[in-house]
This record gives sequence, C-alpha cells and structure tokens, in this order.
Amino acid sequence: MTIDPAHPVPPVLPRYAGPNQIPPHIPKGLIRSIGLTTGAEFLASPHDFMAKLHEKQPPIFYDVNDFCNAWQIIKHEDALFALRHPEYFSNEGATPFPRDPDDYFYFIPIEIDPPQHRKYRNIVDPLFSPQGVLRLEGLIRQRARDLLDQFAGTGECEFTTAFGRPLPVSVFLDIMGLPQDMRDTFVQWAVDLLHSQDRETMGKAMRLISAYIKQAIAEKRAKPDDGVVSRIAHAAPDGIPLSDKEVFGFVIFLFIGGLDTVFATLNNIWLWLAQNPERCQEIINRPQDINAIVEELLRRWSVTFSGRVVAKDVELRGVKMKAGDRVTSILPACNFDPEVFPDPLKVDFDRPRKTILAFTVGVHSCMGGHLARLEVKIALQEWLSRIPQFAVKPGRKIEYRPGGVVGPKYLPLVW
Amino acid sequence: MPKVTYIEHGGASHEAEIAVGENVMRGALYNNVPGIAGECGGALSCATCRCFVDDAWVARVGGPATHEERELLEAAASLDTDEGPARRNVRLSCQISMTDDLDGLVVRLPAKQYA
Ligand code: HEM
Ligand code: FES
Repeated sequence: MTIDPAHPVPPVLPRYAGPNQIPPHIPKGLIRSIGLTTGAEFLASPHDFMAKLHEKQPPIFYDVNDFCNAWQIIKHEDALFALRHPEYFSNEGATPFPRDPDDYFYFIPIEIDPPQHRKYRNIVDPLFSPQGVLRLEGLIRQRARDLLDQFAGTGECEFTTAFGRPLPVSVFLDIMGLPQDMRDTFVQWAVDLLHSQDRETMGKAMRLISAYIKQAIAEKRAKPDDGVVSRIAHAAPDGIPLSDKEVFGFVIFLFIGGLDTVFATLNNIWLWLAQNPERCQEIINRPQDINAIVEELLRRWSVTFSGRVVAKDVELRGVKMKAGDRVTSILPACNFDPEVFPDPLKVDFDRPRKTILAFTVGVHSCMGGHLARLEVKIALQEWLSRIPQFAVKPGRKIEYRPGGVVGPKYLPLVW
Repeated sequence: MPKVTYIEHGGASHEAEIAVGENVMRGALYNNVPGIAGECGGALSCATCRCFVDDAWVARVGGPATHEERELLEAAASLDTDEGPARRNVRLSCQISMTDDLDGLVVRLPAKQYA
C-alpha cells in the first residue's frame, strides 16, 4: 500500500512479539532468542557479541523477543540486497517508535518509500553533502575547543557529559538554525526520550520536544533563515508546500536520528582509545590518513540497526520471507562479516576501501553521514592534540545501555 | 548554469543544469536522471555513482582524483565488464565537481550500479 505522507495514518501492520506469536511459515530450525540489545551476554560486550553471531547463528534467523519478532540479517551481502530493494523491503511502518494515534505523523524521510522519498531528501541534501558540511568545519572545531578548554587542564572528565553529548548537540543546533542556549535542554530531552526506559519520562520529553519544534517551525515560517528548520518549513517540492505534519515529522526525525547515534559512536570510540593508548599515538602520527581512520572506526564501532517490512514474498539465501514479516539488519554484525572484512574485530586503518554499513546503503542511507564523519574527525583531532593519552578511571566498570543505539552509559576518563 | 548530458546504458539521453560546485552525481539525483544511485552521498564508500566520461571530455575532467576513488573503481570493475571500451574512462561521478569549464560535459552510465 502506498501511503500519502501529507495525511498520515497509523499503520495497520501486524506486530508479533514473544513465543506465542510466531507465524506458521517460519521454519522451526531458524527460530532463536538471542537477547539482542537486552540480554546479559549482549550487554557484557555488545560488539563482541555481534561479531560472534557469525560463528553461532545461521546467516539468517528469526529472533523471538518481547518487543518485536523479526528476521535478522547478519551477512554484508544480504544487508546490501535488502537495503537496495525497497520493492521487497519497505520502510512503511518499519520504525517502531511510538506516537499518538490521534495526532499521527510519519518520520520523514525514513518511513517513506521511493519514489516519494527523494523529494524530501532533495530539500536538505545540499546542506548535508560533503561540500555542504565542510562549511561548518571551522565552527565545529571552535565548539570542540571551547569544550576542551573547560576540562582539558583538570586531568579527568566524564566523557559523555563533558564532550560526547554537548559537541554534537551544539553542532546540531548550529545546522538547524536553533539557539545555542538550548544545548543543555536538548541534551536532557534526547537522554530522557531515548534512554530513560520509562514511559512517563519518554512521554513527557516527547511532548516538550514537540512543543518546542512546533514553535520553532512557526518562527522560521515568519522569519526565514538559512538553517535546516527554515529550509524544511519553506520547502515546496514541485510547487506544493509541505504540510504541517510533513514539516514536523522531518524536523523531529532529525532530532531522533542525529543525536543519540553520534553520542554512542563517540562513546564507543573513546572507550577503545582509552584502552589502546598506542593507537592514539598511531592516529596522531598519521594525520594525512584521518579519513581512512574515521571510516575504519565507524565500521568497527557502528551503533545501530535497520528495520524493514517485507512488502511482497521474497526468498533470500534460501529463506522464504512473507509479506508482513519484519526484518532487521544487524549493521554491526554485517560490518564484522569475515568474508568482507577479514579479522573483523581488528582495527586496521589500512583496510582496502569497501562499503561499510554504519550508515546503511540504498536510498535511505544516512542523510547525516558526512556531518557525522566530520564531527568524529574533528573530535579526534582536537581531543588528541590536547589530551594525547588517557585511560578509563581506575575502579570504574563500563556498562552498556540496552536499546537500539549501542554504547556505554558513562565513560569516566583520567589523564 | 553549466549543463551535463547523461546517456543511459540503453541510449536515453538527459540534459541537466548543475550549479558550479555541485557534483555530477547530485546533478543526476536532483534531476531524476536514472542510472546513478549515489548511495553514500559522495562519501567515497559505495561506487554506485560510476560514469564513463565521453572521450572528448577526458582531458578536461581528468582521471580518478584520489587513492580511494581508484580503489573503489577497481573493486567495482567486475560490474562493468560488458560495457566495452568506454569503460577506460570510468569515474565516480560524485568526485567530478562542476565548473564553467565543464559546461557541455557528456557522461555515459553503466547498465547497473550494483550486483
Ligand atoms: C555516527 C552517527 C550516525 C549513525 C551511526 C547514523 C546511522 C543511520 C542509519 C543506519 C540510517 C539508515 C537507517 C535505515 O536505512 O534503516 C540513518 C538514516 C538517517 N540518518 Fe543517520 N546516523 C548518524 C548521524 C546522523 C546525523 C548527524 C543526522 C542528521 C543531523 C542523521 C540523519 C539521518 C536521517 C535523516 C536518516 C534517514 C535517511 C532517509 O531515510 O533517507 N544521522 N542514519
Ligand atoms: S556516491 Fe558513493 S562513491 Fe560516489
């Protein structure tokens, strides 16, 4: 069914959860319950867990859990196929984020299938292109330096609160055209919405964010500027202005997709750096290779998953999937496919260039990928020039956050 | 604005205007020219924006700009084995930036951008 993005309605797709709701066409031999994102074994060391899937599980299996039973893809090649064939693997109804059914909206562009999808990307892609984000380089560098000034001399910090969250939020506010004095509020909203695991806190955060975004859209409508919110608010593809719901669904998705992912990526990378001081030195010694370094770190520490709904029956690697089945590509596992990336857990800055799946591929590949790469690059350069060696604070245990964006909860560092 | 002509594998031709500084991959996407996927948005990671520069333009466009571009093109070469001699001028269109000098550029597109 093709949706009308200007007039959103809640999807009527079935969602199955738990062992009592397994559709009869799923072969018994492929059913697993691996505890992805929530189990003790996963949380003890998520990336190792996802790498080991290649030894422990069939290349495609059906995971049964309390949240959403779904096919799981771990082979690089299979993920490429799924991501590149929206006619079989649709995004409509594939984003499980709860919304008020009486005031429903779509997350744009992630929930829109081609051909409608491109019209949204064309609105903002120029700002997020490699050339577009380069304009922000000086500003991002300055924001990173300002943050470092506050704690570099103190010999310790809690990475997430001192650097890993405020940096991406500052940059986000800049690119969106929103005021910097919202920084700490945005950090709090993002954490409450995406990490609290508590319905009431999440609901409250969602209401506050929605109200703020609606008001920001109204302001930009009245007073245009060159930020992303204004650009979306004034967009009129083919001469037809976007509806209020489209504008809202687009802006709020940037908030949901563009903050927590960067927080988690930085957290994972900084934990690894803290444990591998000789690799910090290697990065410092190879300034000319910084882009390859960032790409390899994004492969090794990718943080999220990609969900689709089967639109028409399809067979993948001999596995028959039926329309309505849900499918998850475990992107970190795909980035650890030993057939594509030999010795996959090794961080090797000299790997031959291959398609990494941190941002997926296909029409929905991350719109913010270049911004994210630039942020990681500048964060590495600025941090290492001030704090070339650091370690996890002795005696502190690293714990991972359960959920769809993988990273340590806190990261206390000393130097 | 400078113009680019994209010729699809089947022969259909599309002319598009592209702002100076934009790249040839985005020019195709913005103008709904089929045959270029540009999946990674120009991050030099997907090689789904391959094009074959018309002989007359090779000197002005130049060969692969970076080590990464060369590596990606080599990795994707097996996709283009049926393309004939045009293949020698293969480039990643996301790495060709428009200039006034390139006004009139002609590029051919492969039969498929991925397997
Ligand atoms: C390291 C940080 C990031 C990671 C790992 C990441 C990851 C992803 C992934 C995996 C997808 C594709 C989902 C799918 O195909 O199912 C995606 C889509 C998207 N991301 Fe990111 N992202 C990051 C940063 C950002 C930033 C900074 C922004 C914007 C400010 C952003 C905006 C988007 C948007 C708008 C989409 C939807 C694209 C579409 O549907 O066409 N992301 N991201
Ligand atoms: S668009 Fe991905 S390499 Fe050109």
